Amino acid sequence: MKFKADEIASVLTEEIKQFRGQIETSEVGRVLEVGDGIARVYGLQSAMAGEMVEFENGVQGLVFNLEENSVGVILLGDFKEIKEGDEVKTLGKLLSVPVGDAMLGRVVDPLGNPLDGKGPIVTSDSRPVETISPGIAGRQPVKQPLQTGIKAVDSMTPIGRGQRELIIGDRKTGKTSVALDTILAQKGGDVICVYVGCGQRAANVAAVVEALAEHGALDYTIVICATASDPAPLQYIAPYAGAAMAEHFMYQGKHTLVVYDDLTKQAQAYRELSLLMRRPPGREAYPGDVFYCHSRLLERSVKLSDELGGGSMTALPIIETLEGEVSAYIPTNVISITDGQIYLEPDLFFAGVRPAINVGISVSRVGGNAQTKAMKKVAGSLRLDLAAFRELEAFAQLGTELDKATQQQLDRGYRMVELLKQPQFRPLHFADQVISIYAGTHGSFDLVPIKEVAAIEIELLQFIREQKSEVRDAIIETGALADELLESLNAALAEFVKTLKGRFTEG
Amino acid sequence: MADLKDARVKSVLDDPSTLAVSRVYAMAFLNAAGDDGAEAVEEFDSFIDVLDAREDFRSIFLSGIMSRDEQLGVIERVVAPRGSEKFSNFLRVLAEHDRLSLLPAILVLVKLELEKRSGKQRVEVISATVLDEATLERVRKQISDAFDFEPIIEPSTDPGLIGGLVIRVGNKVYDGSLRSRVNQLAKRLQKGSLHEIQSGRDRFSTD
Repeated sequence: MKFKADEIASVLTEEIKQFRGQIETSEVGRVLEVGDGIARVYGLQSAMAGEMVEFENGVQGLVFNLEENSVGVILLGDFKEIKEGDEVKTLGKLLSVPVGDAMLGRVVDPLGNPLDGKGPIVTSDSRPVETISPGIAGRQPVKQPLQTGIKAVDSMTPIGRGQRELIIGDRKTGKTSVALDTILAQKGGDVICVYVGCGQRAANVAAVVEALAEHGALDYTIVICATASDPAPLQYIAPYAGAAMAEHFMYQGKHTLVVYDDLTKQAQAYRELSLLMRRPPGREAYPGDVFYCHSRLLERSVKLSDELGGGSMTALPIIETLEGEVSAYIPTNVISITDGQIYLEPDLFFAGVRPAINVGISVSRVGGNAQTKAMKKVAGSLRLDLAAFRELEAFAQLGTELDKATQQQLDRGYRMVELLKQPQFRPLHFADQVISIYAGTHGSFDLVPIKEVAAIEIELLQFIREQKSEVRDAIIETGALADELLESLNAALAEFVKTLKGRFTEG
Repeated sequence: MADLKDARVKSVLDDPSTLAVSRVYAMAFLNAAGDDGAEAVEEFDSFIDVLDAREDFRSIFLSGIMSRDEQLGVIERVVAPRGSEKFSNFLRVLAEHDRLSLLPAILVLVKLELEKRSGKQRVEVISATVLDEATLERVRKQISDAFDFEPIIEPSTDPGLIGGLVIRVGNKVYDGSLRSRVNQLAKRLQKGSLHEIQSGRDRFSTD
């Protein structure tokens, strides 16, 4: 079969005749006034809430307020170049961000534009920033653990996949470190991480990116960054953009972890926008819907049902308190939305207990179901023991004579506190956690001076890994401590304690 | 015609809430006039012409310098004996509500509304160069075919368009200009070359 030029020519001519350039149709309005990150626009009669608009100079905006005679727009770009009287046109679409594998390992702004100088991000997929969370039928209970690699968290406030666990504490108490360690602990696993830095100092975000890169965690992580110097609209949408990027993977049946660092700053950005838009202020001058602002975000964290692929999005929102004031407006709001909180205390932090988790008031409402059997077994009484220890410790400070049993309980308590300390960037595998907590609660460290506990713990784990790897492998494989396994673990520990005896009874 | 072009909110100097209030009075005026809309508008227009001719009178009558009673007095002495009853009543209502300053804006809106009621609408046709009558007539015919109103064409030029036409009907803009086509093309080319660069890079990397 051959093409004949003259035959096809007439067809082509006809085609060209029929071809019409597409005419851009849009609705336009004009800028009435511009303020810090907002603009008020006249016209745009059929604009919808949340619709994108574009200004003459290419800056995009988001319809925020619909009023009788004008439309309030938040600006997602440089507002200094927008003038009174500029033309604004509706784009007829919602704000969406690029998503997909190309985003992994990148540092982007809340609109998905790269900030790391590694070239353009090429992905054809995108996802609306604001989506409705899955309904009741689309969910299933949280029952799969998400290992944070932090002993104090995994043992006493376990986090499950699809859970929302709040990290709350004063400034400089190690909130970001807990979240960062959790991301590092996912190395080699099947969890994709998203870190949303919202209203943070740019230097802090740079340090986070550095730490992630250094520990090889950037390969499975997306960093979204709206620093303190970015305009309020970007800070406001950053968490939603992060959720959208994680959702893309979640709906593919993958597991994701999103860190919102931090939602206090996002609430403040939202307050700024709302006040500029003249929405009525409520408590602490936050608008009435600041609760909804956070609840709709955190409701998007979910363990999907098997029909939807069984993916999950675990959220670690971070809230900064002022002087330990958890009854302020935003902290109470977010505490009530989340499934538990990890409470960090400055007193503990400066006493050298790091991570400075107050295990007494830190809770996890659903994570218990998600704990591995082995961890459940060894950690079951840990919380109560520690509470009893704190009581005894206070009592002992009165200087009363203590009987031998009480003294022994105290000594073990000190060693347990020591054991729960953990240096930054050193997440532990859950089997190692099980072994060291089991060893601690069963007195393997009783001989060791308190200061040496951390060093001996490392030795113990090395000993088990190198010489008793079958025990560790069995824990990893079964995830439980059957009687047989317990026996061999006990035997291994006894052997290790024997090596200690020579060293410490002499000295 | 020229004054009508000023009716559209070209700049922010026209306060939207003022326009909203004026619109209410404009509708009321036309509704009161009933079938004699055109006649009433003519009378209104001539009154504004008088005001425009006497800048001094206009400035004291429309601004807030006169008290309400003085304004009403002027209406009784000047307008009532010469104008129709409906129009003097209209002015009285405006005076009583302290809205006389809106008079010019109301007239513009009344004219626009009258056109709309008789099935006409203003259409701004922006082109890169000045269009000749024949072309404008062709554009007018095509617009009246496409829409269910009789267009009143207001041509204007903007060399920045390069070519083609931008047609604005109310708040809607139909942009068939070369400028927006070039912009679209630029975006598409940029996107295409991005893919090109990326795939070129992927060829040399293992993952």
